[in-house]
Amino acid sequence: MNALEGVTLIDFGQYLAGPFGPMIIGDLGADVIKVEPLTGDGMRFVNQPFIGCQRGKRDIALDIKHERGKEIAMKLIEKADIVHHNMTVGTAARLGIAYEDAKLVNPDIVYCNTYAYGLEGPLAKFGGLDPLFQASAGLEYESGPVDEGNPPMYYRFGMCDTANAMLSVIGCLAALYHQRKTGEGQELWTSLLDGGALFASDVFLVDGATHPYPKLDKHQTGLGACYRLYETGDGWLQLAAVTEAQWRGLCDALHMPELADDPRFADVPARNINRAELEALLGERFKDKTAITWMRLLTDAGVPSELPVDTKGGDLAFFDADNERLGLVAEYEHPILGTMRQFGSLIDFSETPSRARSAPPMVGEHTQEILEWLGYSADEMDALKRDRAVYWPDEAYSWTI
Amino acid sequence: MISAVAGALDGVRVLDLSWGIAGSLGVLLLAEQGADVIKVEPPGGDPFRGYDGYAVWNRSRRSVTIDLKNPDGLEAFRKLAADTDVIVETFRPGVMDRLGIGFDAMHELNERLVYCSCPAYPDGHRLAQRAGYDALVQAASGQQWEQPGWRLGPIFLHMPMPSMAAMFLVPTGIITALIAREATGRGQHVRTSLLQGAFLYTTQIWTHATKAPGDFWTTMSKSYPAGSHQQMVFEVSDGWVHPSMMSGLTAVKSQDELLGVDADVDARTFGTLPSEQRDVITRMREQAYRSAKRDELVATFQENNHAVEPIVAMGDQLGGSGNPHPQLVANGMVVDIEDPDFGHTTQVGLPIHLASTPGAVLGPRPRPGQHNDEIFGELGYSPDAIAAFSTSGARA
Repeated sequence: MNALEGVTLIDFGQYLAGPFGPMIIGDLGADVIKVEPLTGDGMRFVNQPFIGCQRGKRDIALDIKHERGKEIAMKLIEKADIVHHNMTVGTAARLGIAYEDAKLVNPDIVYCNTYAYGLEGPLAKFGGLDPLFQASAGLEYESGPVDEGNPPMYYRFGMCDTANAMLSVIGCLAALYHQRKTGEGQELWTSLLDGGALFASDVFLVDGATHPYPKLDKHQTGLGACYRLYETGDGWLQLAAVTEAQWRGLCDALHMPELADDPRFADVPARNINRAELEALLGERFKDKTAITWMRLLTDAGVPSELPVDTKGGDLAFFDADNERLGLVAEYEHPILGTMRQFGSLIDFSETPSRARSAPPMVGEHTQEILEWLGYSADEMDALKRDRAVYWPDEAYSWTI
Repeated sequence: MISAVAGALDGVRVLDLSWGIAGSLGVLLLAEQGADVIKVEPPGGDPFRGYDGYAVWNRSRRSVTIDLKNPDGLEAFRKLAADTDVIVETFRPGVMDRLGIGFDAMHELNERLVYCSCPAYPDGHRLAQRAGYDALVQAASGQQWEQPGWRLGPIFLHMPMPSMAAMFLVPTGIITALIAREATGRGQHVRTSLLQGAFLYTTQIWTHATKAPGDFWTTMSKSYPAGSHQQMVFEVSDGWVHPSMMSGLTAVKSQDELLGVDADVDARTFGTLPSEQRDVITRMREQAYRSAKRDELVATFQENNHAVEPIVAMGDQLGGSGNPHPQLVANGMVVDIEDPDFGHTTQVGLPIHLASTPGAVLGPRPRPGQHNDEIFGELGYSPDAIAAFSTSGARA
């Protein structure tokens, strides 16, 4: 069995910070039903981010603003253990599917809303995208880095979205555990702002002033002479000589024993103060040999290093034999995109395995089987479709995925 | 360490043997939802204690020190483990087995135990025995190559990306196994890694699809200069701002109107325009932004229902230079904590908000072994016996 087998999650979310969390909960074994508007998830048009947070879900296309559609939504909520979405503050209440509405038909429900900013407060009414929170947390500033005269740099991973989603996963699971123990459900929320803030949680204030923290250099290579990327004779090498033994090993491997006894580089604080001088010396030496040669010499000397891999947009990772064998890659067939690969199991369980059930669904791909599960007859379904309360794919399917 | 505030994980005991970011921060997310966490350190303390952020990530737990190579220390650990729900460790595969406290040995001792391992690379991977500092995993996983920067080649990620992802996978796996235990009565081995963490953030950029057309990848492809979001970073007269393409609200005046730019382009479709057209519009906007003052522009945009954030340094969100972020304060995410080493500190708070079981910050980072007498005393050990296995070099 899968760990969350028997758990049903209704996912009313769109874009990323809504749907990503339910996908992860689905990987853990829950039955996740994506409720998609008849116009499609607002992020379908950007293809890849959409396809990155939908796999394994069953999809019902439903107009919640339609009286009959709303009725179906409430029947789904009645059957659910968890309701999850990322609507802006007040939207679910206007649609009649807020926690208070859900509780009436399902008193012990776990109900999660992921926001951009938060539930209440000066900016709570705003929605917003991941970049805002790479800005607010200081991530863009440090990655530039702005202090070295560079512009701020946006991380293209969009990980504040993912952080919000993962916080919602942890919150939903904690609430579900509590519900299993006590019988009591509850509502919870998370936000992009808080997710971003957590990424910067290593920095704190002492008496109101920011406690010093490591800074990136102007060329975006690393945090110090011993923990950075170096350009070798034929490409880049990531060095991590962190301990005193590794520092001495580094001096040996580079055939620069004089550095180990140089007072300018005697310990970590000294090496930080004289960072530029040490980087110049090491940088010059690293140019003498190829990256793989340096890596082997460093390994022999007990110094950690790694070759930065260009995966060609992920393909080399998705067809890596170790990653495949260890289940880190998932493969499925998509009716339009063909054979797909995405990341596979991120958490392995010895007794209740993770899974990636199926490809990201098309708009309304499972509308009929879900309506049947709710007790609707074929005639009723046809009437609902004619009435534009529901949709399932037909010749008029207008999306590219 | 028991809180007056209810937590969803009240009654769950966790032994935290982890070193590094993913374990300590992952465990923090359990601790502040109510779990009773005991950090188990070697005599003298976890060697990463000097690391930035450790004061934050190791709060809300008690600390004991044990010399696990001392037979009495090992026995004391086994007594703790017999009555615990969760063990978390982050060593290379094989290390815990060699100490005699691997999953098999512990599961035999306590069938209900959830045992979470988070090394750098999964057991059985060719890199499994290599060093696992975060930047090495950034390199080996391919993440450094994914980031476009101000030069070609791999870019060092200032944010320790693989660790900052695995820290979500650790509590996710643990609570999932606790839920499964409610049905099966048995604990199990939960395994993740920094490499799997690195994969978490590839969701928007890595897809292999045999029949996808070339334009499938357009918006999120790695490009130089970097794609649409980077082009929304603007310099103002006294700093930088990042406006959002959408706010979910109906704009009063458009961003271009507020800037005095005659572009007439819907923000949402901007990213789909041909790059030449985008460049022309971007140049016009850049010029307009450069004459604006940061805080005035932010206020004006927000008044007109546009979401925008000033681009600030780390620490500024907590008030490191001026006021803390007002919404972060409203979220209860700016907390003041008296730290035994640093004194009066301001830290990031709890980012998960459960209505009936809110959880709480339970106290500052403990000193190594601060709770030795309290915790081992409960197990019946005398102070002398405790000192014999909890201090360095001592032998029974």
